[in-house]
Amino acid sequence: MRFELLRDLELVRRGWRWGQVRPEWPEPAAAIPELPSLEWARAEPVRSLRWLVQQGLWLPFTRLMTRPEVEGDEWLRDQDRAMILVSNHVSHADTHVLLAALPDRVRERTVVGAAADYWYRRPWLGRLVSFWLNTFPFARSGGAQGVLHSSSRLLRSGWHLLIYPEGTRSPDGRLQEFKPGVGHLAGETRAPVVPIHVQGTHRVMPKGRRIPLPAPVRVRIGRPLHLEPGEASRSFTRRVERAVGELGGGSRAPEVVGSWIERWRATAPARRRPRPGGGRGPAGGA
Amino acid sequence: MGRPGAVIEVDRNTPPTLFHFGEGVRLERLPLGTRVVYPPDPLPPIAHPERAIRRALAHPLDDDPLKSLLRPGMRLTIAFDDLSLPLPPMVQPDVRQLVLEEVIELAAAAGVEDVHLIVANSLHRRMTAEEIRHVVGDRVFTTFYPDRLYNHDAEDTEGNVFLGTTAMGEEVTLNRRAAESDLLIYVNLTLVPMDGGHKSLATGLGSYRSIRAHHTVHTLRNSRSYMHPPDSALHHACTRQGQLIEDAVRCFHIETAVNNHCFPALVNFMQKRETDWTAADQAAYLTVKQLTDLAPPAVKRAVFHSMRAPYGLTAVHAGQVDAVHERTLAAVERQMLVEVEGQTDIVTFGVPYLGPYNVNASMNPVLVVCMGLGYLFNLYRGRPVVRPGGVVILFHPCRYEFDSVQHPSYIDFYDEVLADTTDPAEIEARYERCFAEDAWYRQLYRRSHAYHGVHPFYAWYWAAHAMEYVGDVIVVGGERETVRHLGFKCASTLADALEMAEQTVGRHPSITHLRFPPLMLADVR
Amino acid sequence: MLAVQFIRSLPAYALVRASRGHPAVATGDLSMLHLGDVEEPRLPGPGWVRVRPGLSGICGSDLSAITGHASRYLDALTSYPFVPGHEVVGVLEDGTRVVVEPALGCRPRGLEPPCRPCAEGMPGRCERVTEGVVGAGLQIGYCADTGGGWGEVLVAHESQLHQVPAGLPDEAAVLVEPLACCVHAVLQGRAAPEEVVVVQGAGTIGLLTVAAVRRLTPPRRLICVAKHPVQREHALRLGADQVVTPDRLFQRLRFATGARRLGGPDRPLLLGGVDLTFECTGSGRGLDEAVRFTRAGGRVLCVGMPGREEVDWAPIWQRELTVTGSYAYGTERDGRRTFELALELAPELELERLAGPLFPLGEYRRAVAYARAAGRLGAVKVAFDLRDRQGWD
Repeated sequence: MRFELLRDLELVRRGWRWGQVRPEWPEPAAAIPELPSLEWARAEPVRSLRWLVQQGLWLPFTRLMTRPEVEGDEWLRDQDRAMILVSNHVSHADTHVLLAALPDRVRERTVVGAAADYWYRRPWLGRLVSFWLNTFPFARSGGAQGVLHSSSRLLRSGWHLLIYPEGTRSPDGRLQEFKPGVGHLAGETRAPVVPIHVQGTHRVMPKGRRIPLPAPVRVRIGRPLHLEPGEASRSFTRRVERAVGELGGGSRAPEVVGSWIERWRATAPARRRPRPGGGRGPAGGA
Repeated sequence: MGRPGAVIEVDRNTPPTLFHFGEGVRLERLPLGTRVVYPPDPLPPIAHPERAIRRALAHPLDDDPLKSLLRPGMRLTIAFDDLSLPLPPMVQPDVRQLVLEEVIELAAAAGVEDVHLIVANSLHRRMTAEEIRHVVGDRVFTTFYPDRLYNHDAEDTEGNVFLGTTAMGEEVTLNRRAAESDLLIYVNLTLVPMDGGHKSLATGLGSYRSIRAHHTVHTLRNSRSYMHPPDSALHHACTRQGQLIEDAVRCFHIETAVNNHCFPALVNFMQKRETDWTAADQAAYLTVKQLTDLAPPAVKRAVFHSMRAPYGLTAVHAGQVDAVHERTLAAVERQMLVEVEGQTDIVTFGVPYLGPYNVNASMNPVLVVCMGLGYLFNLYRGRPVVRPGGVVILFHPCRYEFDSVQHPSYIDFYDEVLADTTDPAEIEARYERCFAEDAWYRQLYRRSHAYHGVHPFYAWYWAAHAMEYVGDVIVVGGERETVRHLGFKCASTLADALEMAEQTVGRHPSITHLRFPPLMLADVR
Repeated sequence: MLAVQFIRSLPAYALVRASRGHPAVATGDLSMLHLGDVEEPRLPGPGWVRVRPGLSGICGSDLSAITGHASRYLDALTSYPFVPGHEVVGVLEDGTRVVVEPALGCRPRGLEPPCRPCAEGMPGRCERVTEGVVGAGLQIGYCADTGGGWGEVLVAHESQLHQVPAGLPDEAAVLVEPLACCVHAVLQGRAAPEEVVVVQGAGTIGLLTVAAVRRLTPPRRLICVAKHPVQREHALRLGADQVVTPDRLFQRLRFATGARRLGGPDRPLLLGGVDLTFECTGSGRGLDEAVRFTRAGGRVLCVGMPGREEVDWAPIWQRELTVTGSYAYGTERDGRRTFELALELAPELELERLAGPLFPLGEYRRAVAYARAAGRLGAVKVAFDLRDRQGWD
């Protein structure tokens, strides 16, 4: 009975912020150790080091192995706000492929949500993936308050967030139900959600295989979705799920119907670009 | 404000001089008394390019504001220069992107539904999707590619129309879409005085039928030089053709000029005069030199061709072509002009890795000639830097290497035509037609990314004036067999080359070294 | 008599194969080739005479046998041990200078009535090359009972002898036999005047084919593929319009024929291409290239002796190519013997410029090594010189 008290205290402590948008509670069994904040992985000099490793090592390798065919990256190019990038998940190769598909400017400001109970179970593994892919631990068992809190903090400080709302890799490549965390996160931060569909990575590295094989991959990026005023976070999650599913089906339906003028206006940047000769590096090319 | 160009005499305290050497660089000690000609420093770029562009469009020269020319229901065609300009390709955003976005913004505001964008690639190779994207920017690209943004096809019989014949008998053809438009806008980037003006439309959207009127040995020998339009028979012909086009289609020209800031910060030493080199520049030179000496050619090419130039916009003008081009030329000459006192017996310069026709490809021997004896030699106003019968000493490895995708006709030109004769006039008379009408080259030009079958001839004619004018051409560091095949002499060091040159120009020759790139226009007094 | 003899020995064969035909091994003590005193061949029957070779060429097929590259197919058609050498200019006992037509058909073998090919005058196609008065062997130089050109004496049937005209030097006469092969091939190929013809390879056979094509069936354009500079000069002298190097073969043939060239995943190919190709390298690679640059419906003639080669059959199938062999000589369409035509053609070709260097029999090792690298060393036909032996003045 004594230990019941502790449990109750814990429950109360977790319910501390009543009245705020709050996800479901995690099952007690999924209780996870204190998550490291991994600030260092997003600070210099690790960022530069990671950039080197990316450019020199795994981006060329990924491109060679998968020859990703990217559609719709124009939706990302002119985005200045922090975005939540949401993708289906079929393979460990997804993260590499998706990062490779992102424009440089987006990639270097993207953190990846990695399953806390899988990747961060062992500290050294966690540190390695954090360094390698700029991941941060993301509890997948429903979304603990602390995790959402740290995610929204990241978004607020300007980092794009790449997450897999299915929670785990799909066993057969079909889209699984999205966990509601996306909607909550969008509701909390008002960040646009970019639906992404990746296809073909299950041939590169299906669940259960360790050696990647070359195969062509297609990445489709859809138009960013915003939480409508008054829209419930759960229905927004469904909307995002539908958007990702639609990207997967058939050939891409034009996001903008009508003449080029509407498309032109739809892609208008938030603000003007830097001037030519404005101090871009030597590798500014395509 | 940067320094103007300068002519510096080599004395005991002068540091060694930088020579470009294909995909590499080298330092050479020039003999005492040699004059080294340096280009002016980059002009300060316009602070707010968008604003300047908008102003130019709102207040055109000798024409109505662009806004007033646009109305719903019209056919609007926008043509723009291909990737042969500028060199090296610019960091994004390209000047053309900025101009195109402003123009399209106006077209969108006016509700012009029928808009086509055409790359004015003339007989050059078709640009790849990524190259077009780089030039026009993402927004324009995703809005229009591929159905309303595409390359001009000079071999499409349906897609080109015959407009007529000029008073001097030059035939004129134009891209059909452009010819049948209510308004044709040309967006240009003028890097050297040869570009732009009437030449933009007359060649950019022309076909072999119209281009052969002035791309001839005769015309080019009478263009002294084609870098100075008033003295250029080539440009006179283009002007006649252009006027005929202006009569047939309502045209609106937008011309831009950039400064000469052509090297990224990492290799800034290439931009600077050697006397200005810091320890960092020296270290950078050493690193680049060692790497280019050791690296395999493919790696070198990948590195060099990934360089993007941080050019800055120095002028933008819009309106009626003659008025616009006059201002543009003034801006270009302000950046490029260097006064040089008197001619010289020997002129030396290095040929860099890149010319207009080998973006993302190797510079084959024919293009080395085109670049060295064509473009670089002709960068003068009045008279050449070298005296008649003098000697040109080029630096280039001049290897037998051809890009099989981009330059299929160049390979055959080298192996079949140059093996027979190197005389431009004879080549023109005997071989040009056969190459121009070869079905395979035509196919590769239209469907792959190959230069037109006749293009190597033009590259060779480009050097016709120099070949006729100079007494001897010596290539330092070239592959012996290849250089001989081209009809020139080969030397392994500068000292050898100078000794060989003395046999042509006599003892104690005067020597001038032209330190490009950055490019400059020698105004020889 | 002194002769170089070729013996059958499986260990020696294995050793030579293992060394990939390295000349030092292929002519060494443990090889199949031995110099020594062998019994003079006896006259096998009526009509046979003794010939004393003066010059005796080293043929590509000899080199294949020595280096172990020859097809095992030929094994059954050969009797061992034999004295090689079938490109022979020699003298009879009465001093007449002759060239030997080495094919051993029914007539020399004393078989009556002759088989059908022999009756038609094509002893190269003889069906009874293992029967008759001498042992198995396609030619003198591959038969145990006749001796061969690399020995002091050989025996030949009088039907195999052709008198050499007085003006023709020995150095030219030694090339009459290969020239006859080429004449035979060229008359078989029958190039039309509007066709583009390629001669692939510029060794002895290649060069002589160039000469024969130019003189017998001049086409619109005759292109020779030559690797070495000396070969290039010979080819141009003998009548090629153009000489191309193997590394730029497809590029230059494309231009010459106005064809389309495709990259292909491993090697290039031409759509369109040349009308008629004489494959004179005898290598699989040469043939494999030939079927890629010969136009659909075109003809490829294998003149050089191939072995067991790997050739892509897809182009042969898809282009409906006619790939024909061309072996030896006989009677041509107009009823004249190929050797007569060759002897007629020989004087104007200055064939003596192709012969040399000459080696004595004792230096057979050097000679074989030299012949193996002939093109690189600037030679065309390396031969043995036996004229200092008795019977020659």
